[in-house]
Amino acid sequence: MQLGDARVGKWPINLLGFARALRRSGVPVDSAKIALSLQAAVAVGLEQKADLKAALSCVLINRLEDRAVFHELFEAYFKDPQVANQLLAQMLPTAQGEALANTRKPRVNEALNPKRAQDVQNKNNQPDKEQEFELDAAMTASDLVRLRQSDFGALGAEEFKLVQRLAMQIPMILPTYATRRQRASRAGRGLNWPQTFRQALKTEGEFLVLPKRGPQRQPLPLMIIVDISGSMERYARLLLAFLHQATVQYPKREVMVFGTGLTRLTPIFQRADPDEMLQGVNDTVKDFAAGTLLGRSLMELKARHPRTLVARKSVVLLITDGLDTGESAELDVSLQWLKRHCKSLCWLNPLLRFEGYQPLAKGASLLDRYADAKIAIHNLTHLEQLAKALARVVSSKRE
Amino acid sequence: MMSVDGLIAALRAQGYEADRATATSVYLSLVLGRPLLLEGEPGVGKTELAKALAKVLGRSLLRLQCYDGLELRDALYEWNYAAQMLHLRAAGVHDAQQSLVPNLEQEVYQSKYLIRRPLLQALEAPEPGAVLLIDEVDRADEPFEAFLLEYLGEYQVSIPELGTIKALTKPVTILTSNRTRDLNDAVKRRCLFHWMDYPDRERELSILRTQVPQASEALSEQVSRIVNKLRSAPFADAFSRAPGIAESVEWARALVALNTLVVDPEVLGDTAGILFKQREDVAQLLPMSASLLSPDE
Repeated sequence: MQLGDARVGKWPINLLGFARALRRSGVPVDSAKIALSLQAAVAVGLEQKADLKAALSCVLINRLEDRAVFHELFEAYFKDPQVANQLLAQMLPTAQGEALANTRKPRVNEALNPKRAQDVQNKNNQPDKEQEFELDAAMTASDLVRLRQSDFGALGAEEFKLVQRLAMQIPMILPTYATRRQRASRAGRGLNWPQTFRQALKTEGEFLVLPKRGPQRQPLPLMIIVDISGSMERYARLLLAFLHQATVQYPKREVMVFGTGLTRLTPIFQRADPDEMLQGVNDTVKDFAAGTLLGRSLMELKARHPRTLVARKSVVLLITDGLDTGESAELDVSLQWLKRHCKSLCWLNPLLRFEGYQPLAKGASLLDRYADAKIAIHNLTHLEQLAKALARVVSSKRE
Repeated sequence: MMSVDGLIAALRAQGYEADRATATSVYLSLVLGRPLLLEGEPGVGKTELAKALAKVLGRSLLRLQCYDGLELRDALYEWNYAAQMLHLRAAGVHDAQQSLVPNLEQEVYQSKYLIRRPLLQALEAPEPGAVLLIDEVDRADEPFEAFLLEYLGEYQVSIPELGTIKALTKPVTILTSNRTRDLNDAVKRRCLFHWMDYPDRERELSILRTQVPQASEALSEQVSRIVNKLRSAPFADAFSRAPGIAESVEWARALVALNTLVVDPEVLGDTAGILFKQREDVAQLLPMSASLLSPDE
């Protein structure tokens, strides 16, 4: 079947359009997949919509996280005529009164409506600017325990791409340790049989050289502890989205956030879709933008999740400004415990606002004393800077 | 080749209840000749599907269980070094005076000294070919995925000493993954992808009927209802892992063995260890038993 073949009507063109819309929404779809999807559609036939959907899904999608986007887009694209009208009503600004409540993901909407993506972006930018002013005045700590739920929205297409690009371009390289897997290695102990034989054949069957093999190395387990107190409020959403993408290749990854208490986000970080992850954070975190009680949170870690730290192997990445409002004795004890139970403690201070900063506040000075590696960023404006600093602090403790 | 409906019926005849989307993906994998990557929670029947498919197609099933540190020599081929060494020694005694390096190399790397592992066995399987199950591919590490690329893309492997070995009959290849980590895009691009969900209640019930025929209809229905509840919203959040199909079948068998007619809180407590394998999960289950056992909406 070829594009433009009169016998098949506009079907291939429709499918091409659908695949391209899918690509616009951030799902990787290449031409080979589109060609294969045509074959698949011919194989299962067009009689049953459910079959067609299953066929297209198993060809075009290869990540679980893309399934929800595929589902919504498929339903919107190959819809009943009635729903089509409603969808059209959604897209036309003049007919807004008759539109259905829009529950699609922002990425799906932008993919269905590419021309207006720019407008959406502009609209999104403005509130951000206003927020910046607010934050500059919000550098005070308080003893009050305010309980609040975060209200992170799903990522827009641009944000999604930015986070994915940064995660790809700025690799977080963890130190490694020896595993059970064997590799050709001069320092190894076992004999590398294939190479030994190849060498022996060169010397008429005499075993003169005995190449060795030894264990291969693997990244250490990673534990990320992120401050989501009031002062970190503005960065938390994109920071979490970035960490979610950038550390995805590390199977042994634990994620905790703390404000006035500790919340374990590891199961939520296993959701591959960043939007679902953010939604999960919204549902789980109860102390968003509250005070900072690092000591108490670490005590909670010790009491409730002691196994999450792999003794003497875990690399702990602590992201906080160190403006702790709890008891300093408690913080001291808990930091000592943390230090004893991990391989290295890396502290990233993302909110350092002025030159010549000294870690004088009690919390900050304790962190300064116990951290194996520390990095502070002046004047954080871009996620990119933060990403680079994170990569730097993690890899600074390489063996 | 049959149709999607035909495939569902054929799988059912082998005791495997496939939903339509799953059957469609298997059908496409057969028609298009592509490997099929099945992902899903543990215990949703990924491995069973491959077994049933092998029976349907009348092909032999070759299974490669992946694990951390799996090497090429365990998956593809290995030379029989001991035999090769004997060969070398024998050759050395006979022709001690002559230089025979080029010959020797050919003699040592003969296919009779090749130990064939599952991937190579699948390629060399005689008509009607084989079904190759690469199980839990996410347990192997990333370098191993690179070994798979040539096989998945072209159904061939290159052995430096022997050349390229191409499949006689394309093996039907099924990869399964529990998503303990993300697979490489290069592997995924070469495969069709299907996410296997937990079955709906109807399908679970018919699975129970086929797998545990001794259970009464009422008991099967109760089991499928309770397990279904455990997997859905208010209950599922309390557990670290929801019970799969394998667990519900095991549970039904256990209940039959205990001569249970109706599940009550006491029986549920006694057999909780079959549904959940974590102490915390079992502890969570007990307080819920009343609301779990209540007949629903």
